[in-house]
Amino acid sequence: MATVSQNSKLGNVLWPALAWIIALVFFFPIFWLVFTSFKTDADAVKPEFLFFFTPTLENYTNMTQNYDYWRFATNSVITSSFATLFALVVGVPAAYAMAFNPSRHTKDILMWMLSTKMLPAAAVLYPMTFLTKNMLGIYDTHFLVILVLCLINLPIVVWMLFTYFKEIPKEIIEAGKMDGVSTWGEIKDILIPLAWGGIASTALLTFIFCWNEAYWTVRLTTIDAATLSTLIEGNRAPEGLFFGRLAAVSTAAVAPIVILGWFCQKQLVAGLTFGAVK
Amino acid sequence: MSNRTLPRILQTPAVILLLIWMLVPLSMTLYFSFIRYVLNSSIRPEWMSPSLSNWRGFGNYKYVLDAKDFWFAIQNSVFIVTSILVLTVVLGLGIAVLINKSFPGRGIVRVLLISPFFVMPAVNAVLWINMILDPVLGLQGIAVGSINDMIDGLRDFPVLGVFFNLWPTFEPISFRATQTSAYAVIMMVAWQWTPFAVLIFMTSLQSEDESQKEAATLDGASPWSQFINLTVPHLARPIAIVVMIQSIFHLSLYAEIEIVSRGSGNKNLPYLIGEFTNNNIGAASATGIFAVILANIIAIFLLRMVGKSLMD
Repeated sequence: MATVSQNSKLGNVLWPALAWIIALVFFFPIFWLVFTSFKTDADAVKPEFLFFFTPTLENYTNMTQNYDYWRFATNSVITSSFATLFALVVGVPAAYAMAFNPSRHTKDILMWMLSTKMLPAAAVLYPMTFLTKNMLGIYDTHFLVILVLCLINLPIVVWMLFTYFKEIPKEIIEAGKMDGVSTWGEIKDILIPLAWGGIASTALLTFIFCWNEAYWTVRLTTIDAATLSTLIEGNRAPEGLFFGRLAAVSTAAVAPIVILGWFCQKQLVAGLTFGAVK
Repeated sequence: MSNRTLPRILQTPAVILLLIWMLVPLSMTLYFSFIRYVLNSSIRPEWMSPSLSNWRGFGNYKYVLDAKDFWFAIQNSVFIVTSILVLTVVLGLGIAVLINKSFPGRGIVRVLLISPFFVMPAVNAVLWINMILDPVLGLQGIAVGSINDMIDGLRDFPVLGVFFNLWPTFEPISFRATQTSAYAVIMMVAWQWTPFAVLIFMTSLQSEDESQKEAATLDGASPWSQFINLTVPHLARPIAIVVMIQSIFHLSLYAEIEIVSRGSGNKNLPYLIGEFTNNNIGAASATGIFAVILANIIAIFLLRMVGKSLMD
C-alpha cells in the first residue's frame, strides 16, 4: 500500500478488484449451497459433475416428502411472527415511557435489560426443561417457543426502539398532551406514524433473530413446535448420501432471511451494538 | 394520571417479564448447584428429585473443578472465542477500509459481504462440515484429490517427473477430530461474523474526520501510517464493542459445536453443560454458574461502554 498512492490509476483498479474478489470469496459458500441444491444426490458427490451437470428441481419438489419441510417452515413463520409482534406490543410502550418520560432509573433499567441478554442460555437449560416439561406442561408448544423468542429479544427491541424514539423531538409529543390527547392516542396517532421506519426495522431485525435462533428452539421442542433450526440440526450428518436434498432444504430455510437481511443492514448496526456505534 | 406513574405503568410489563425470565430459572440453577441431583440412579433413588435434604454445599463445584473435562472446556471455549475474535477483527478492519471508498459495484459488494451473517447457525455448520470441508465428498476432498491426480500425471514427464516424484501425496484433513473440529468451528463462525465486524467498522469509518486525513496526505504521510495513526485510534471504540459483543455470543456457541463436534471430544462450556444435563444436574448447574460468572466479567465492561453513550 505504501508504494501505491491512493490517487494512482493502478490503485483505482487494484483495490476495487481486490474488494470484489474478497466479496465473491465470502459469498462463495452460499453460492455453493444454492448450486448444489440443483444437483441430484448422486451427482452432488461426483467430482466430474462439480461444475457441469444437468440441473434439476427434484430436490425442491421432494422437500415435503423428504423432510416435511413445510411443517417446520410453518412453525418458524408462526413462532417468529408472533414473538416479534408480542415483543413490539410490550416494547413500544416501555420504550415510549423511557424516551419521553425518563426518570432517574431509566438508564439503570435499560442497562439491566441488556444484561439479561448476556446470560448464557446453557446455564438455565435444565431449569427451563424442568419448568416447561414437568411443572407447566408447555414443552414443545408454539406458546412456549413464542414466549421464549419474545423474551430473549425483548431487550434488543426496547433498546432499538428507545434509540429511535429519542430522535423524535419531545415538543411534538408535548404538543399532543396540550391538546388533551390521551397517552394511548399519543402512541397511536403521533408516535407510531412518526417512528414508523424505526419500528418496522426493529420488527424486521427481531424476526431475523427469531428465525435463526438455534439454542432454545432446538432444546425446548421435539416435534409439534419444532422450527427449521431443529430440522437442519436433525440432519446434521447425511454421510454424503443426501447432499443435494440437504442443500435444497437448507437453501429454502435461509433464502427468505438472507434476502430480508439485505434490506436492514443499516439497522443491524444499531440493533447489535445497542446504539453504541453510530 | 400524574406524570410519574404512567411511564412506570407502561414499562412495567417489560420489566416484570424480563425479571421473571432472569430470576426464576437462574435461582433454580443456583439451587440445583448446591444439591445432589441426578436423573438416573438405581442406588440412590432419593437423589432423583430435587430436595433440600440432598444438600451438598459446594460439593458440585468441587466436583466440576476437579473434572478434566471442565478445564478442557474452559480452555477450548477461550481458544475458540479468541481465534474468532482475532480473525474477524483483522479481516473486518481490512475489508472495511477497502470498501470505504466508492467504486463500481460497491453496493453489490456490500450485499455479498453481509450475506453470511444472516445464514442460520445450523445451516452454516451443515454446509461447511459437509459440502465444503468433508475430506472425501466435500470441496476439500475433491480439491486435494485433483491436486494428487495432477502430481501423479506430472510424474510421468521426463526430467520434471524426477522433481515431482519427490512430492508427497497430500492427505485431506478430517475436520471431525477433536482439535480439527475446533478449527472447523472457528472457520465457519469467523466466516459468519466477519461481515458483522465489517458493517460496524464501516459505519464508524463514515464518521472519520476526512480533513485530518487530507492534511496528513499533504504532510506526506503514507496511507499505511495514516491507517495506523488516524484510522485505528478512531476505531478503538468500535473494535472494543465488536470484541465484547462477539465474546458474549461466542461463549454460548452451541449449534456449530453440536453439529460439527458431536462425539469428537471437542467441547466448550455450553456443550459440557448439555452433556452433564443428560444425568448429573448438580454438576450441570454448577458449571452453569461458572458460565454466568465468566459472561458477567465481559458484560460489565461492555455495559459500561454502552452506558456512556446511552443518554446523549
